[in-house]
Amino acid sequence: MQSTKGLPLDVRLSAYIDGEVNEAERKELEQLVARDEEARLLLDMLQAGNSFGNKAFEEFLHDPVPLSLVRRIKQGPGVNPKAERVVAAAPRQARLRLWPRALAASVALLLIGGSTGFIIGKTGNDGARPMNMAAARTWLDDIADYHRIYSRQTAEHLVEVPASGDGKIESWLASSVGINFSLPNLSGSGLTFEGARLLVAAGKPVAQLMYKNEAGDVFAICFLKSKPGTTDGKMTESMRDDIAMISWQKAGASYVVVGPSADANLHQLATAVSTAI
Amino acid sequence: MRPAADSNEFRRDLVSVLPKLRRFAMTLTRNAADADDLVQEVCERAITRNHLWNGEGRLESWIYAMTRNLWIDEIRKRRVRTGSGTVDASEQDELSIEASGEKAVYANQLQKMILSMPEGLASVFLLVNVEGHSYREAADILKIPIGTVMSRLSTARMRLAAMITETTERRA
Repeated sequence: MQSTKGLPLDVRLSAYIDGEVNEAERKELEQLVARDEEARLLLDMLQAGNSFGNKAFEEFLHDPVPLSLVRRIKQGPGVNPKAERVVAAAPRQARLRLWPRALAASVALLLIGGSTGFIIGKTGNDGARPMNMAAARTWLDDIADYHRIYSRQTAEHLVEVPASGDGKIESWLASSVGINFSLPNLSGSGLTFEGARLLVAAGKPVAQLMYKNEAGDVFAICFLKSKPGTTDGKMTESMRDDIAMISWQKAGASYVVVGPSADANLHQLATAVSTAI
Repeated sequence: MRPAADSNEFRRDLVSVLPKLRRFAMTLTRNAADADDLVQEVCERAITRNHLWNGEGRLESWIYAMTRNLWIDEIRKRRVRTGSGTVDASEQDELSIEASGEKAVYANQLQKMILSMPEGLASVFLLVNVEGHSYREAADILKIPIGTVMSRLSTARMRLAAMITETTERRA
């Protein structure tokens, strides 16, 4: 714990926010804030700055990280990171446009009105979050969220329907999402088919095929029906934090292969899936 | 020497902290191109020196300290070369983060605002407020006194609060 005695009040309150003052100083500062309007407003400003900064820095994590850098780390030199950069996640950037405005408006109003309490930042968040979530998400965002949750499940709960080899999964998912497909055998890539799930992403049914490698990393192939006539087979790479995704469209369906961003062979895997599925 | 299996695990851990590492590098370099170069250099150095990582504490702290040291070296080299030091982010035309369209422009503006804070503020704010490092840890990573961490943190928060009003006015 730091002694902040004699330091400017904003520095002391800042340390108070971080829990870096001792018990006696904490009580002293709380009493000061309770009786002094200026001190309270100062604390509100510091906390408003906190909220704004936290959100802004969170968005930095959605910037693209060169996948070639990832590969270089995994496999050693030979790839130039500058020659290849992952496509940025547009939906994440769309969120940027909305939340600061809502947050800024909320916080500015609270500050101008000299409102009380230490929950200004929290209030701003509460107002901003629902608007953003509804505005900008695509099916790939939903898939990334699903993957983040399901890939951490134990083997027992990893899939909805376990691998059986009797073709039931193909017929079930084909009829559910409206896309005929063959279950890709990815054993050549070191992946074992674990089973499948039926998901909902962007309001549409999505088939999810789950695989695991020897290290226990979970990979997923997801696909859903898209606009008729979409046959662009171009593969697009993107990252959502620690999850890498390679997506493409083919014959009226959209596909994505999902895996850990640390995997250096995801592109080869996606290529194999696109021909096998 | 660290066994090969451990080395692979280290590389894997390194990849998992890449987005965070890049963000931290951005607060030092204040532009994306330099941050990417710095991250690449740090990763290469970390891999060759991974036997020095004792596995205790947060890997980020070890990597961040290395990042900071390399960046200080780079600044010194540039000063020697140009005699003028680095260019402040607020003086640059645009952060070179790849993006397109109106949304991306706003993303750049916001990031530009954050990174245009006076040198040292963004790094301290990121370490303490966003990533939960203690004052002592932040001071160790950045090699600055705890008192400087405290004052920079307070200044950063006040600047960020002022940006809220700025952002609101700009978009009104």
